[in-house]
Amino acid sequence: MRSKAALVGLVALLVVWPWVAPRYFVFLASLVLVNAVVAIGLNLLSGFTNQLSFGHAGFLAIGAYAAALITLHAPAVPVVVTLALAGLVTAVVGLAFGVPCLRLSGLYLAMATLAFGFVIVEAILNLDALTRGADGLSVPVARLGAWPLASDTARYYLALAVTAVLVAAAINLTRSRVGRAFLAIRESEIAAQASGVPVALYKTLAFGLSAFYTGVAGGLFAFLVGFLSPDAFDVFLSVDFVVMIILGGLGSVPGSIAGAAVVTVLNDGLAAFQNYRPLIFGAILIACMLFMPGGITGAVRALARRLTASSGGRSCASSSAA
Amino acid sequence: MTTAALIHVVVSGLATGSIYALMALSLVIVYNATRTLNFAQGEMLMVSTFVAWSAQRLLGLPLLAALVVAVLAAALLALVFERLVIRRAIGATHWDVLILTLGLSLMLRAGAGIIWSHDEFPFPSFFSNRPIAFGPVRLAPASLGIIGASLVLMLALAALFRWTRLGRAMRAVAQNQRAARLMGISVERVYAGAWVLAAVVGAIAGVLVAPVIFLSSKMGLVVINGFTAAVLGGFGSMPGAVIGGMLLGVLENLAPLYLPSGIRYSVPFLVLIAILLVRPAGLLGRVERRKV
Repeated sequence: MRSKAALVGLVALLVVWPWVAPRYFVFLASLVLVNAVVAIGLNLLSGFTNQLSFGHAGFLAIGAYAAALITLHAPAVPVVVTLALAGLVTAVVGLAFGVPCLRLSGLYLAMATLAFGFVIVEAILNLDALTRGADGLSVPVARLGAWPLASDTARYYLALAVTAVLVAAAINLTRSRVGRAFLAIRESEIAAQASGVPVALYKTLAFGLSAFYTGVAGGLFAFLVGFLSPDAFDVFLSVDFVVMIILGGLGSVPGSIAGAAVVTVLNDGLAAFQNYRPLIFGAILIACMLFMPGGITGAVRALARRLTASSGGRSCASSSAA
Repeated sequence: MTTAALIHVVVSGLATGSIYALMALSLVIVYNATRTLNFAQGEMLMVSTFVAWSAQRLLGLPLLAALVVAVLAAALLALVFERLVIRRAIGATHWDVLILTLGLSLMLRAGAGIIWSHDEFPFPSFFSNRPIAFGPVRLAPASLGIIGASLVLMLALAALFRWTRLGRAMRAVAQNQRAARLMGISVERVYAGAWVLAAVVGAIAGVLVAPVIFLSSKMGLVVINGFTAAVLGGFGSMPGAVIGGMLLGVLENLAPLYLPSGIRYSVPFLVLIAILLVRPAGLLGRVERRKV
């Protein structure tokens, strides 16, 4: 009951946020939403099917540039369609890259995705006829029918609506047959295969889905910042995404959102201390792996268990559900 | 293009390749002993090279002494991190260790930036930069020196693995950790030994390459080329790492002659993706069978 009330409160806060918060924090909240979508996408791949990716900044770039180019060349397309197309384009690239990567696991996949991220940035730099290369590309204002989304508030609501749909879809998905198949693959590919889970199909699906989420987030990102340049999508952004899901908790949708929120706000708060930022993020990664392997999600669960146990609840659950 | 010019390009490719090979060897040494990838290997190289620079600049030590200081610093860093972090996560999956070392690499890079700034610094070389002429072919002593020094280091490593107690223990652990432990080998000591050895190789590679590419906090990215080299040769194989490194260095130097210039920086990544897709086991590697 209490958690339901908290959820309602959170949703209410998100809806009224542009009226209570200063303008800059509206922008920051939109950025949190965009990063949350990427983190969910990455978590579907890494947390659920155990395929680590260091290349999600590349997928984000593809989505962002796709959305920007669609809006530039076909301004009449409504923003929702643009975002869906950006997601689809990215998903196609993701599948084209992911299918051959099925042969790779663990370290090899991580390094291949890392290389993928670099190649995408180089490709954007070199395709300057299309992307304007290192000069950067300014993104036109998104339109929803006749209504231009020109203000921070309008873009915030766009991001909020899209994120809400994608979060609901992800939560449903993880509770479905597909989600259970993903988790089975994470626990043991061989056991999953032996139980009749078509491993290759689901791993490919995870790749496509992850790329789709990241592509949509890329589109939102493009409209949000209004200017794209290839150096914004470097490997350190990919690492930030990894930090989000490790901190939030692998295999958890709410965890992805929490991780994205913490990392985005930290990033912003540390803007004046650029040099110390990676130092802190590195420390977060190491601390999480050593002391909080389940991330925020795991810590919250453990805390909740301890609370119910001390109030006379089912204390035996604490030992079994680790 | 003349043959002489081609030889020049290939030799400088081999010089770059020697560094990749040393980086690849570092990765393989840790991987064989611990079955994990040290993502921070490149940043450890970078930090130890900066230490050498400081020793040379601030303390006025000769370059050779600075190299010794760098090697000691690298060994200490590896020992401390292995002791404080990796040892605590023994039994962790390669995933976890990858994340741990990723955290370390972020911290080392940021730390280097705070201490030494993110600028590029010139680094003194052991070798002069006046080219030596062999008939019509003119070669840079720096290239030859890097190749020569790397080859000596590789031979030393080969000897260490073949004839010393630590080397034999490391090979035993690489083959079968449980059997090695039953034979009385301290697996923990082998872990620490592998980390230290890899860091030392990295420190030497860093001091060798810094005069050519400048000393900067970005140097650590060489770990990606090292990984590519190791994969190219077959991850886990030491001769493979050397061959892969040399091949990658030459490829990278030849590519801009035949391909659009913008592609140069993508070469290692394209090679990595291509190798992983076509022959994930690399040139000399064997496909590993996993047991459930």
